[in-house]
Amino acid sequence: MKLEQLINSRRDYSAFMDLDEGWLSRRIFHDQDIYEAEMRNIFARCWLFVAHETQIPNPGDFLTTYMGEDAVIVCRQKDLSIKVFVNSCPHRGNKVCYADAGNARRFVCNYHGWGFDTAGKLQGMHEEYCYDPGDIDKSKWGLKEVAKVDSYKGLVFATFDPAVPSLADYLGDYRWYLDCIVDNDEGGTELIGGCIKSIIPANWKFGVENFVGDAYHAGWTHDSGTRAMNDGNPFPPIDMVNSFHASANGHGHEFGLEGVGDIFLLGRPKVMEYYNSVLRPRMAKRLGERRSMIFGSVASASIFPNVSYLPGISTFRTWLPKGPMQLELRTWVIVNRNMPDEIKEEITTGVMQTFGPGGAFEMDDGENWENCTLSNRGVVTREEKLHYRCGIGRKLDHPEFPGTIYRGQYNDANQRGFYRRWQDLMNAGGAWSEVPDRNSNRLRGRETRDLPGGLLNL
Amino acid sequence: MNAVMQEAVKLPAPSVELLSEIQQTLYREARLLDAERYDDWVTMLTEDLHYHMPGIETRYRRDKTDQVGDLKRMAYYNDSLDDLNKRLRRLKTGTAWSEDPATRYVHMISNIEVEHTPNPQEYKVYSTFMAYRCRNERDQDTLYGNREDIWRRTSQGLQLARRLIVLKQNVLLSKNLNIYL
Repeated sequence: MKLEQLINSRRDYSAFMDLDEGWLSRRIFHDQDIYEAEMRNIFARCWLFVAHETQIPNPGDFLTTYMGEDAVIVCRQKDLSIKVFVNSCPHRGNKVCYADAGNARRFVCNYHGWGFDTAGKLQGMHEEYCYDPGDIDKSKWGLKEVAKVDSYKGLVFATFDPAVPSLADYLGDYRWYLDCIVDNDEGGTELIGGCIKSIIPANWKFGVENFVGDAYHAGWTHDSGTRAMNDGNPFPPIDMVNSFHASANGHGHEFGLEGVGDIFLLGRPKVMEYYNSVLRPRMAKRLGERRSMIFGSVASASIFPNVSYLPGISTFRTWLPKGPMQLELRTWVIVNRNMPDEIKEEITTGVMQTFGPGGAFEMDDGENWENCTLSNRGVVTREEKLHYRCGIGRKLDHPEFPGTIYRGQYNDANQRGFYRRWQDLMNAGGAWSEVPDRNSNRLRGRETRDLPGGLLNL
Repeated sequence: MNAVMQEAVKLPAPSVELLSEIQQTLYREARLLDAERYDDWVTMLTEDLHYHMPGIETRYRRDKTDQVGDLKRMAYYNDSLDDLNKRLRRLKTGTAWSEDPATRYVHMISNIEVEHTPNPQEYKVYSTFMAYRCRNERDQDTLYGNREDIWRRTSQGLQLARRLIVLKQNVLLSKNLNIYL
């Protein structure tokens, strides 16, 4: 009975926030029960980023990662499709792959030698004769596959939920903004080899909400990093008229229209030169003048629930939940495949100087999120609200920009959009039919690359 | 004589004086880093410094990916002197919030091994480090790893020209890396 209640428990999470008023309960950042519900209702339901296609180009290429706290293997098949299965042997549960990445013909469990092909199918085991006829039907005891795998312009996503909307609908109108980084030139993108991983004793949402909309922290938290990278110059000025928050389905991109702010923060003049003289004109042709100026401006972005990136700085990362009070940060550098090697290397060096664990920007973030998480936990403190009301009156119907738009990138609007999606999914308890449509799919069925004017092209 | 010894004796063995000089130099460097005396530390670095700490993934033995030598891969540090100076500049801005209150450091250096190189002005130096950090109330971590350096004799004395740092963690079990190793 108790287990049944736990599994089927439906709880109203509306009490933990009032996004029309602009506040959140501190409990969602440390509570173990809420965290378990997040794993079920968000991470076991949503499309989650698992790989970039170029990380596993050849048959047998694999990498391992986590969907929520479920360990998975992402593996390129002989027919070049990609399969994702749980990294856990159906015999006793041991991992069948201990490496971060590589190439394999099969995955064999170290415990009893159960072997699986690269499609996750059980092929045989050590001393197979010990199983009598009827003991095991090997065709039914393969590695558990996820429900669906799909990709959007190189980014591979997987989901455990067969009832999830298509990836295109899940990303919704956010695709128009995502194209700024994954489709801004011929040939697509790639991630630079290797992955830098670190742990932060903080709730996973603090990382995501920071990137989804928190331009506000940058000029203060990162004053030292900005000056270090740019000969003592302070953070670029923010134009509160010509900058925006755009949110759709919990995904969000906050941006200016000046085109150079984030590239400036990278501190690599050769990269600035390449963007301005080579890439931007091509981008303007491909995505439209407008998006060629969104790209590279002071900006940050997150894909719900746990991927973030900085267009123009080119850090790309995922925040893996590891309990309510710890996250594992995995970071890569995303570049266009057709960039000259010298530019790729300049960008990589710049990202490692700014947004690695030793980066001049990143270094000042972790401690803030750690102490937000820790201090919110106090039994008295946790009953107090957190303020998320900045810019709540600046909503506008923009003729061009898709999604829910607020003016002025110093704003909590995208954070509110992220938590609204969080609340929708938590309250729906996994039933997608109960997840409200927040008008985030006006571009449904359209190739967003070919809509230079956004909503104007409808 | 075994193969490892043969490799080392192709060039003359370093003198005790040289061993001592280099050992003392490494200890001095560690003491400067413990005390955050970065202006002094920088005087121990050559203009053409390469300071490299690659990210190390967990891979199977059969996997021949060059995780240490391939400079195009992701790294914690892959810096020239100019790059390193930019990082250090952050500390002088007065707004490096996570450096104030200050972190407390200990660098322990051991397993020092010195080899001559074909360039008589340069020495190859192997060492192992244990670096401890503690900050605020109870925030602490310890990093272990190996280093392979090239130290060059210049008009400034012995200066560090190359450093390869191999940290022994896959996931960095820390929230940041405000430390030089």
